[in-house]
Amino acid sequence: MTDPAPWPADGLRVLDAGAAPPAWNMAIDEALLLASGPPTLRLYRWDPPGLSLGWFQDGAAFAEVPGRHRVVRRRTGGGAIYHDDELTFALTLDAELLPKDVAASYVLLHTAVQVALAAVGVPTELVRGAGAPSGRSRGSGWCFATAGPHDLVAAASRRKIVGSAQRRVRAPRARVLHHGSIVLHAPTATPFCGAVADSVDPHQVEDRLRNELSAALATALRLRPMPGTLTPAEQSSARDRLSFYEDAGRVAR
Amino acid sequence: MRPNDRKYLKSHEWCKISDGVATVGISDYAVAHLSDLVFLDLPEVGTAVTAGKAFAEIESVKAVSDIYSPVTGEIVEVNDDLPDELDTLKEDAFGAGWMIKVKFTAQAPDLLDAAAYEATLDQE
Repeated sequence: MTDPAPWPADGLRVLDAGAAPPAWNMAIDEALLLASGPPTLRLYRWDPPGLSLGWFQDGAAFAEVPGRHRVVRRRTGGGAIYHDDELTFALTLDAELLPKDVAASYVLLHTAVQVALAAVGVPTELVRGAGAPSGRSRGSGWCFATAGPHDLVAAASRRKIVGSAQRRVRAPRARVLHHGSIVLHAPTATPFCGAVADSVDPHQVEDRLRNELSAALATALRLRPMPGTLTPAEQSSARDRLSFYEDAGRVAR
Repeated sequence: MRPNDRKYLKSHEWCKISDGVATVGISDYAVAHLSDLVFLDLPEVGTAVTAGKAFAEIESVKAVSDIYSPVTGEIVEVNDDLPDELDTLKEDAFGAGWMIKVKFTAQAPDLLDAAAYEATLDQE
């Protein structure tokens, strides 16, 4: 048996995953953030649906949301998202591969997502303008309820169609986790979302969207998309983190 | 030139030392690159901190970032008003924007003076 070939320096590892429970999805993404692996794009879905809370959000405000979902907390910031019929991506990479400026990194990544959506027939616009005011005000607390600077909105309805948030760490390595939720059908809980279904049949285009997204994000990062798998160490790390994300007490804080 | 009466971490925290107590905050550069700040979670007095390890988290639109301690020791004072007045960080990151005061027993080995810290910014 020979050692696997080293991952090419210009390779974006693409983990084209299926549906998984919310806590497992978040545990894997955190494991990838804290690992020192290659730049990785994980594409996945949610089963059962998930209601994810931003890292600092008050869970009590979402305790009565009806549905068969499980509530989970994301490592990333931003507002709550109801993940049902959606294609989610998690990009984990060394910070040096992204603009240091958070806003600039959003522009880079959202422009790539915009290219991918356009390729499957979903026109969007990148919101321009000044930043939001500082403070604790979050309105309803739903990520998709408001579109701010650098968000992607559906061109026709002007509704936010991609929800995004980041986590940046400096130790043990300077790394970034960028979460993106591309809504295929607007969930019942958050009918104000823009959705791919407003333009095309999502299930006709999902496979192509996965490929276009991999290609566009790789191009933006000056990398080449290459199919890959989780390493045993990453799977083990994710299993170690699972109990944190399944812990109801931490969810409700 | 940033204040040279204190030391810096490459991850943009500063500490100003006086009588065995380190006052800790983040630099104006970090504040500018985080853009719009929305939430800051500071620890409580009595919490132990370790040089090079995270002691707080800050959220901007829309990224959560860790804040690392330049020293090892115990927190003796917290700027409790800061989370409710995040504009203070924009206006005075090196003064009124301080975060914690630590009675310290050790400093991080990789603390930089102002000139060396600014040299790292030029490389970014």
